Amino acid sequence: MREWSDDAGALRRFGLALVRDDRFVFDDVAAGALIEKLFRQASLTLVDCSGGDRRAARVRAFAQFVRLYRRHARRLAIDEDGGWLESPPSCRGGGSAAVGVRSLPLELREALLLVVLAGFTHREAAAALDLPLAVVVDRLVRARTRLAAHMAAARDTAAAWPQSAHLRIVK
Amino acid sequence: MTGRADPAETLAYVDDCLDPQARSEFEARLKADPELRREVARWESQNRAIRAAFGAPPRGAVDLGGASNENAARRAGETARPADGEARPLSQARKRRAAARAIAKPRRAGPGPAARRLAGAVALAAAIVWVGLPSLGPRPPSALLAAGASAARALADLPVEFAAADPAALAHRLGSRLALAPLLAPGLRLVGARLAPGSQATATLYLYENSRGERVALMVEPLDEVGAAAPRRGEADGLSVAAWTGAGYGFVAAARGDADVAALVAAAGADNDTLADAGAQRR
Repeated sequence: MREWSDDAGALRRFGLALVRDDRFVFDDVAAGALIEKLFRQASLTLVDCSGGDRRAARVRAFAQFVRLYRRHARRLAIDEDGGWLESPPSCRGGGSAAVGVRSLPLELREALLLVVLAGFTHREAAAALDLPLAVVVDRLVRARTRLAAHMAAARDTAAAWPQSAHLRIVK
Repeated sequence: MTGRADPAETLAYVDDCLDPQARSEFEARLKADPELRREVARWESQNRAIRAAFGAPPRGAVDLGGASNENAARRAGETARPADGEARPLSQARKRRAAARAIAKPRRAGPGPAARRLAGAVALAAAIVWVGLPSLGPRPPSALLAAGASAARALADLPVEFAAADPAALAHRLGSRLALAPLLAPGLRLVGARLAPGSQATATLYLYENSRGERVALMVEPLDEVGAAAPRRGEADGLSVAAWTGAGYGFVAAARGDADVAALVAAAGADNDTLADAGAQRR
């Protein structure tokens, strides 16, 4: 039961990080509502496999969550007449890792979060995403590089701000 | 990227995906290549930032009832064994410690080892007499107990928000996360439920009445990543309180009399399997 609880918590945390993209989902309340809906379906995999291979069940549960969210995002993008894998058009400011991750396209975000946040190996992430290992590694490299660039740019902007900005004197 | 190391291999190292042999080979290269060390440090720092940003415990952290990081656990298991795969015998470990002591600088004169052990035993016995025997095993968080006591004090005597004509319908109305069949204890009549602020999330406050017409409260809060913990007793503003965790939920029973709290704890203990099953199915 403890293991189930750990896995369920990790899945919920992964879900919150994945769905809060500042494109379709802008706040934690909306993210929480969507998570509950997807989590109920994905976590059935964990419950069904309580006696079997826990690691494999965990991979299946996360894979199921990713599939459900992709379907959801695709449906929203069709309504919005846009590509569902694109980066969010504009992200809120700030150089935090959370903002950087949200600014990544879904295909990079899900690979990065599966490995870094959910603690899967590259091979397991490839299995969960139903992709070849090389593709997942390539996505991880791109995701990390873009995230590093995003955070560096945000740092530079913050450093440059005091010199460029000034107060207008009003008499 | 440096060009000297395969990015895939660097990432595999950072994400704990290399087997022990490849890992040690990579670490040998790492020692000789400062640029590679910087790159690894950059990716590791990015990993830490991402995990911190989304509330995950850092890798290799002490498990405080939080999420398990199986990569780290697997690696810890590997490093605890020598390279030949055999666990080091205890006698060898003792020899190594003795050798280390021999080369350490000589200690000042003081009580011998036997006297120190005796003094330690006396101090431990005194501490046990003074504070009582420590409870073994995990304990429910004190924040949970405080939140339950506070909710019971503030809300127990107010009218219920959800009547309890049908416990199954009551559970259904509370929504998926809170849909746990209420505990039924002998001598306590379920009146209904209210929503209450828990220690971390919204909780259900089940309200009962005992034979004297006094209200008894049971707060049930869904908690992520919580292990089972035996009841922890306490008192707050004249209320007797007990908090325990299990099946992904935290429970706090609060009443004016110890007997009512004990009845709820006993009911929860008798229904442990039911609770576990209900928690697994409804979440």
